[in-house]
Amino acid sequence: MRVSFPHLGHLWVPVRALFTELGVDHVVPPLNTRRTLTLATKNSPEGLCLPFKLTLGNFIEACELGADTLVQAGGAGICRLGRYGRTQEYVLRDMGFQFQILTAGVSEKKLQGIMQLFKKISGGAPWGRIVSAVRFGLAKLNALDEIEKEVHRVRAREKVKGQASALFREATKAVDETGDYDSLKRRKQDYLEKLRAVPQDGEDPLLVGVMGEFYVVLEPFSNNDVEIELGKLGVEVRRDLFISEWTRFSLFLNPLGINEKRHLQQAAMPYLKRDVGGDGWESVGEKVLHARHFDGLVHLAPFTCMPEIIAQNILPSVKEDIPVLTLLCDEQTGKQGMLTRLEAFVDLLKRRRASRRQKVGVH
Amino acid sequence: MARVGIPRGLLTYQYLPMWKTFLEALGAEVVISPPTTRQTLAEGVRRMVAETCLPVKVFCGHAVALAGQCDYLFIPSIKSVEPRVYNCSKFLGLPDMVRAVVPEAPPILEADIDVNQGRRALYRAIYSLARPLTWNPWRVREATRLAMEAHRRYVQGMVREKKTPLQALGFSPPEEEAPHRLMVAIVGHPYIVHDDFITHRLLPRLKGLGVRVLVPEMALEEEMARAMAKLDGKAYWTYEAEVVGAGAYYLDQEEVDGAIGVAAFGCGPDSLMVDLVKRYARERKRPFLALSLDEHSGEAGLLTRLEAFLDMIERKKRKCE
Repeated sequence: MRVSFPHLGHLWVPVRALFTELGVDHVVPPLNTRRTLTLATKNSPEGLCLPFKLTLGNFIEACELGADTLVQAGGAGICRLGRYGRTQEYVLRDMGFQFQILTAGVSEKKLQGIMQLFKKISGGAPWGRIVSAVRFGLAKLNALDEIEKEVHRVRAREKVKGQASALFREATKAVDETGDYDSLKRRKQDYLEKLRAVPQDGEDPLLVGVMGEFYVVLEPFSNNDVEIELGKLGVEVRRDLFISEWTRFSLFLNPLGINEKRHLQQAAMPYLKRDVGGDGWESVGEKVLHARHFDGLVHLAPFTCMPEIIAQNILPSVKEDIPVLTLLCDEQTGKQGMLTRLEAFVDLLKRRRASRRQKVGVH
Repeated sequence: MARVGIPRGLLTYQYLPMWKTFLEALGAEVVISPPTTRQTLAEGVRRMVAETCLPVKVFCGHAVALAGQCDYLFIPSIKSVEPRVYNCSKFLGLPDMVRAVVPEAPPILEADIDVNQGRRALYRAIYSLARPLTWNPWRVREATRLAMEAHRRYVQGMVREKKTPLQALGFSPPEEEAPHRLMVAIVGHPYIVHDDFITHRLLPRLKGLGVRVLVPEMALEEEMARAMAKLDGKAYWTYEAEVVGAGAYYLDQEEVDGAIGVAAFGCGPDSLMVDLVKRYARERKRPFLALSLDEHSGEAGLLTRLEAFLDMIERKKRKCE
């Protein structure tokens, strides 16, 4: 049994660590490239969203490398995501691959479902071993997300553009290679220090929130590296979505009744009164909540994403005043077009901030 | 007497008798928006984000048409009507979307219909729907009973008398028995199939070409569920049976010559469902035409494809004979 899984940002690092700890034979699909997308678009039913296509592409490339067990997220009542597994199975069978597909419920069973999945994949490893493997995986995930937060800060301020991104690539590799908690901690500290040591200018950069649909926010290939591009324009990116946050809450704290999104949902209430699946509710909430302390928001959504279409229709009616740039992601999106829009958006934010400062000065 | 408007779009085709009976039993006067026109669609397109799917834009246009003419708009948020099967997000967010893009709309009668939340929550939702019209829970209960009865009569009537929803609702004249050369099933959601403006009068046109048309509403629910189970296991979407189930059911019938899948461009669930039916048709070597409609789809292109499809079926039929 060779297990494989789709990409989502740097999720592959902790998952690889987990499988290695459990002694599971696995293959990490090649990182998303044009080839991944082209292969998937060619074989996928038309009209499906980008996350479906990219994860399908990962599976195709994993199968080419000999994977025979594929893990996909699933569950009822979210959006099309719950149906990805079954549809991808048809497509891959048509292409002539031999494999089985396992779904990890993300909407209802959560922790229990995921633990049972690991039990199955590991061929019935003892629970103690599974728990310690999961812990180690989570430690890597947390370390990477912590480094990434620092990267967001440095990217906007560094004097020579590209250093932070290069360091982050190195850090990802380094974290991937560590095999124990001690060296993991050391390397994390190491890279945090290196990042802080990058020469920076003291200007107060624009603050832009990145929000929207989970997958396109977290997978840089799917959003044309929007965060890196914003960083190049001297903008500091903030986002609420991190995989480590998501796992911490949805696996461990939500079952205990702690809902980290409650404040977002409460904020969205005057405009959207109910959960519409996906991240639609939260997208509306973010605009309401962040209007005060951010300069602008970049709203990312896959083309034809149902929950985000609702958010897009509602966002203009939100009274809290903050500019929102919605970027739709699909296989047709050209990077140059996106860059032009980003530049225009950042110009607008700069002027808006300047005029606000002036007003404050007059008083 | 309060006037309650029901936009003629989306689930209205499924539930109009139920809703109307419910509201009238509570003493309201029900206003239904007139059939879709260019104006309706233009209004929806103008107000909503471009990538919103066609039926939602049409629905919004109908809500605009009703805005000045009633005291309330009736737009429930229907999340789930069977255990662990959920609806497309857009049905859930419908009242909120209408509120956002039609600011001049009167108050909306909305409630979350979700059977997975249990009986009590469902009763409470129904009561909250009725609350602006009456405080009396016994009246609500009686109205609900009458509404369910009306719904049952409506659904069974369509199966028994082989009627389309428009005929059953009395919006279009009943079918006259006419000789037909072909029998074709149309599969798709009723809010697309039965909106003659969206489909460029697909149904009357087929009739004019000598085709007997079957629609999902004419099949028994159990039959569609069985066909659905055979093809794809348990339904994932609430209204999956009327596309996948009906498709598989009709494609299995010997006397049906072919099927046409009608979907809206950008419809999330349909992108998966129509593909399933297409696959099934290919496996069984049965004629199937997938039509994807949006506000730009031209009449001439549709007609050409339709004629080619019918010619193909006829040729195939002759060859078999």
